[in-house]
Amino acid sequence: MAAPAQKPISVTPSPEPIPVPPTPQVAPVVGPIMTASEPTQINIPAIDVDSDLMQLGQNPDGTVQTPSLDEASPAGWYTGSPTPGAIGPSVILGHVDSRVQGRAVFYRLGDMRPGDEILVTRADATVAVFVVDGVEKYPKDNFPQFTVYGNTDHAGLRLITCGGEFNETTRTYPDNVVVYASLVSSHAA
Amino acid sequence: MNKKAALLFVPALALGVAVLTSGPAVAATGDASYQGTLDSINGSNGSGTISIQVSGDQATVTETVSGLAETFDGKPYPHVQHIHIGAQGVCPTTAADTDGDGVISTTEGQPSYGEIGTTLSTSGDTSPAAGTDLTVAGMGASFTYNRTFTLDAATAASLEAGTAVVVVHGLDPATLSQAAQDAPSDLVPSLPLAATSPALCGALSASQSNMPIGGVQTGGGSTSNGADIGLLALGAGALTAAGGAVIVRRRLAARG
Repeated sequence: MAAPAQKPISVTPSPEPIPVPPTPQVAPVVGPIMTASEPTQINIPAIDVDSDLMQLGQNPDGTVQTPSLDEASPAGWYTGSPTPGAIGPSVILGHVDSRVQGRAVFYRLGDMRPGDEILVTRADATVAVFVVDGVEKYPKDNFPQFTVYGNTDHAGLRLITCGGEFNETTRTYPDNVVVYASLVSSHAA
Repeated sequence: MNKKAALLFVPALALGVAVLTSGPAVAATGDASYQGTLDSINGSNGSGTISIQVSGDQATVTETVSGLAETFDGKPYPHVQHIHIGAQGVCPTTAADTDGDGVISTTEGQPSYGEIGTTLSTSGDTSPAAGTDLTVAGMGASFTYNRTFTLDAATAASLEAGTAVVVVHGLDPATLSQAAQDAPSDLVPSLPLAATSPALCGALSASQSNMPIGGVQTGGGSTSNGADIGLLALGAGALTAAGGAVIVRRRLAARG
């Protein structure tokens, strides 16, 4: 990778141009990649999840939207992330529970284990097949933004819900559960 | 400037490659976002992350670093930091240590990451001219840096081309060989080599995801708003993916 050592002739901030190599670096891509297509459904056999997917953007304050709690809400794809199957960290969010519906779509997310399959049906009538790499729990006040949302060298998927012990005073959960998965294959819906 | 013409030529070559690896475009507005992980170089044992949001000619930089040398002459260690541009867009390997003193000096790293395009100064000038001004450096072992400034065309072009690299400088002299400890800086001879040599390095690339804000305001304050208690209770199970502004988000999301 390193260019042949060229004896430096000056130091910054000299305007002398540095020799420009003909080929900039190419980030290696690991595993299969699909073209972009918006997700419509998620199916997780290991925890009996079969949900339509809504679309979630950002709130005005820059935080990510969450599905409505007024009714039984499906999980949702964060539209600021790549579509499932494309390179990068695709994000799907779902509630763990709510007073209206009790156990919600991602109630058992924390039960997932490496090797479990996640199937995401897409608008182009394909199914992206992901396999779980790991399940992590993070305190919300120390959420590893780059680990979850940062660039990846593969078609990744992150499923996110609430975790930890519900705090009756703040009416919140202290943690987030994040399931990390990678695309392994795809097939027709 | 001739240099500018050369820089503009590079993006044209690089774009075809970038498309293959950078995934879907993030923003529909024509704005762009970049990110990088800052890794230890020259044995600094530091680490960090940086993201850059570009909107028109304005760049907002958000950076967090830790584990760097803490003090210099009994004062907080000044870590000058820059966006280097116009070369290979990579961090140097130990092979770049051409004089074999065990330290990849800033100059030795230039074939990899290029020259300074922008100085990530804490105030005032962000041009290369501020590159070694210790008074506007990041200070101490750990710091966060948040600043919005006007992005120059050369740095903007290098960001687009995928050849921009962030370098944070300043090593703990005690970690170097005696010869390297005694050596003068290749940039500012009145300073020791350790003071200006790279400590963190990270190549910037287009963000695959538009990172939500991962704030730290969990449940803050809004629970005192009695009218919202019912809704907040409903929110019991709300996921709060990015951690921040939980209550506000729930209210907004409730009608989503």
